[in-house]
Amino acid sequence: MRLRRSSPWALLGAIVAIVAVAVTLSSFLGTVFIPPLTALRLLLGLPNACAGTSVSPDLCTRWGEIVWQARLPEIVLAVIAGAALGISGATLQGTFRNPLADPFLLGISSGGTIGAAIVFDFHVGQVAPDLFLPLFAFIGAIATGVAILAVAVSRYGTVETLLLTGVALASLLSAVLALLLLYNPSGSQQVSYWLLGSLGNASWPVDGIAVGVLLITGTLLSLFGRELNLMQLGGDVARSAGVDVRRVRIRLILLASLTTGVAVAFTGIIGFVGLVSPHVVRRIAGTDYRYVLPGSALVGAVFLLGARDFALLVYPTSLLPIGIFTAFFGAPFFIYLLFRRRAGSPMGSL
Amino acid sequence: MSGTPAAAPPLRLVGVSVSYGARTALRKIDLSVRSGEFVALAGPNGSGKTTLLRTVLGFVTPNAGRVELFGDALESLSILERARRVAWLPQEESPRDDVRLIDYVLYGRYAFHGLLEGDSEEDYRLGHSILEQVGLADRADDGLLSISGGERQRAVLARALAQTTPLLLLDEPTSHLDIGHQLDLLARVRDLAHRREVTVVAALHDLNLAARFADRIVVLSRGRCVADGPPSEILSEGLLAQVWGVVADLRREPRTGMPYLIAHHLTTAPRRPGSGTGFGPVHVVGGGGAGAPYLRTFADDGYSLSVGALHLLDTDAEVAEALLIRGPIEAPFAPLGPEVRERHRALLAVARAIAVAPFVVGPSNLANLEDLLPYVRTTPSFLVSRPSIAERDFTGGRATQVYQQLREAGAREVTGMEEIVRELRALSSGPPTSSA
Repeated sequence: MRLRRSSPWALLGAIVAIVAVAVTLSSFLGTVFIPPLTALRLLLGLPNACAGTSVSPDLCTRWGEIVWQARLPEIVLAVIAGAALGISGATLQGTFRNPLADPFLLGISSGGTIGAAIVFDFHVGQVAPDLFLPLFAFIGAIATGVAILAVAVSRYGTVETLLLTGVALASLLSAVLALLLLYNPSGSQQVSYWLLGSLGNASWPVDGIAVGVLLITGTLLSLFGRELNLMQLGGDVARSAGVDVRRVRIRLILLASLTTGVAVAFTGIIGFVGLVSPHVVRRIAGTDYRYVLPGSALVGAVFLLGARDFALLVYPTSLLPIGIFTAFFGAPFFIYLLFRRRAGSPMGSL
Repeated sequence: MSGTPAAAPPLRLVGVSVSYGARTALRKIDLSVRSGEFVALAGPNGSGKTTLLRTVLGFVTPNAGRVELFGDALESLSILERARRVAWLPQEESPRDDVRLIDYVLYGRYAFHGLLEGDSEEDYRLGHSILEQVGLADRADDGLLSISGGERQRAVLARALAQTTPLLLLDEPTSHLDIGHQLDLLARVRDLAHRREVTVVAALHDLNLAARFADRIVVLSRGRCVADGPPSEILSEGLLAQVWGVVADLRREPRTGMPYLIAHHLTTAPRRPGSGTGFGPVHVVGGGGAGAPYLRTFADDGYSLSVGALHLLDTDAEVAEALLIRGPIEAPFAPLGPEVRERHRALLAVARAIAVAPFVVGPSNLANLEDLLPYVRTTPSFLVSRPSIAERDFTGGRATQVYQQLREAGAREVTGMEEIVRELRALSSGPPTSSA
């Protein structure tokens, strides 16, 4: 079958445009109703944004604050966390040559949860919970990534042992989490809320840190497209073509852990973004990792932002955990993709 | 290739030994491959061909000895530098993604790209010219998963060629291909070796392909190099028996002048002097497992065999099937029918000798004995009398009667296998009794 000579960069450009539109539209939605046009003017920082409405200047100022200090940070966090999860998922799927690999399957997210549970249960860092919760979650995620890396550098470091080690770690960590919750049931509600993910911690400082980390790790990850393409043909083939497979694997797992860690630290656990986004990109832009990596970041961003908007549309007054919505959309969509894949083509080419 | 002294051989192994745990895969291999040579590594499964290639690629570290690529010790070269000198065509690459062929071929350019460098126009030109060399010029935009298995192996070859290395290693590159694609792929590789001075080392278990395409064959056996030279010099029936354990005819192909082999059977038992390869057919009558040891022994001795009417699922029938011995088969437990008996008699008619194993005779197979009568008069026949027929007769004395008639008609009574083996040897080495 003839594959079209697609221009993946044009597709990526289109996705960037979609992200921009999605960000704008998202600013219309929130727990407080603001007329969309007014919200747009406020967003663009136009003078007398509320002109033509019967809104008092005081309220107009408050609306401006809502748009700029509540909605926009939340939107930016959704974009960043979605992008981080998307590119991590693509990286892990490529590194492990497994279409099901994502930060959750491998226990990296669970590691973050343990970190958070320690803060809730042992009341660590009560002085500055906004600092210590993300910090511990981040450390937990990285620690799990490093544990997987320990296997990667050993002589048992084949793709299979790495993947199974990650899966085993994920199970172990969920047992540890259950133990922590039994040990201190009072923290269980906070932890279970955290387990479903939330954008509620968004603020400009949080966004700043997240953007900073993602810009670095995301850029570095995007440079590994060629290596990942060759690694899909098997470690030996990649090596014979010049890829230092072991070293590349270590770098990729480390970078993916960092990237996942920053998302988990600020939003808790949001499922399915990392799993589904790379598959969506492969369907529209092909399987070349040079495009799958940045593409998954953009699709992940749109996905998470869309989930946030949908949550606000159906339930504007209360903030439900966003992980519920990503799962609600992600799981059926993933199954749909499975059935839509070309007959006879293996899982990897979803 | 840049920076490689022209005088240094593309590949040199000096006393290379490799073990996997307690198992030694390669023992003190010395090998020097000249520039532009097509060398085939031959040897049975497990002889070390793949290990040798993997050692050269740096996937396996030798316990002793050294590997040199164009004069440089392998371990002194980085993975990138190796990729610029050696490319590898694996036995089978199972791509999972439907990549465009041209993109897939350009994956092979990895070792030549900088960090942020994209595929240049020059890369694309190279990729297209390589696709043309492997006969896939018009498939450049097709997906890797949409082409046939034979085309895919050529695409994998194209990816390896895109590394533009002066040395190419192939590991059983044709084992999953049909005969047409096997010839096509190896002819392309050989042309490449001769036209572009690419040195080729290929593990090939098909000796006929190796003899046809390689300039030189290196034969490995249990990790040792046992023969090394041009196909016409080193291939011999003795080498085949020694290394592969097969009895084969070595012939010369009239058009190409190349040696080729027709393998006959395994040399599981050492050939005894005087045993008759090709003598026969020796017809064995058995049943219920009584005939199996006779079939095996005679097959090992190299006689051509046929076997008397047997029942489906009978032990002897299974042994005969495994040894590819022809014989009529009846339904389980049924008395032998007229058709089966007819075919049995046809086999008896052409037999050069008949051996009757001490099988248990019942109503369902009594006919096997009865049908022998006309033939034992003219054909040397042997009746095994231990255990005696009386002990094996479940036909109310009828079998014992027939046995007596067979003896009277000229069948010789023998005590066991050894006596028949002796007699057959005498028969096969003596002057031919007839032109049959």
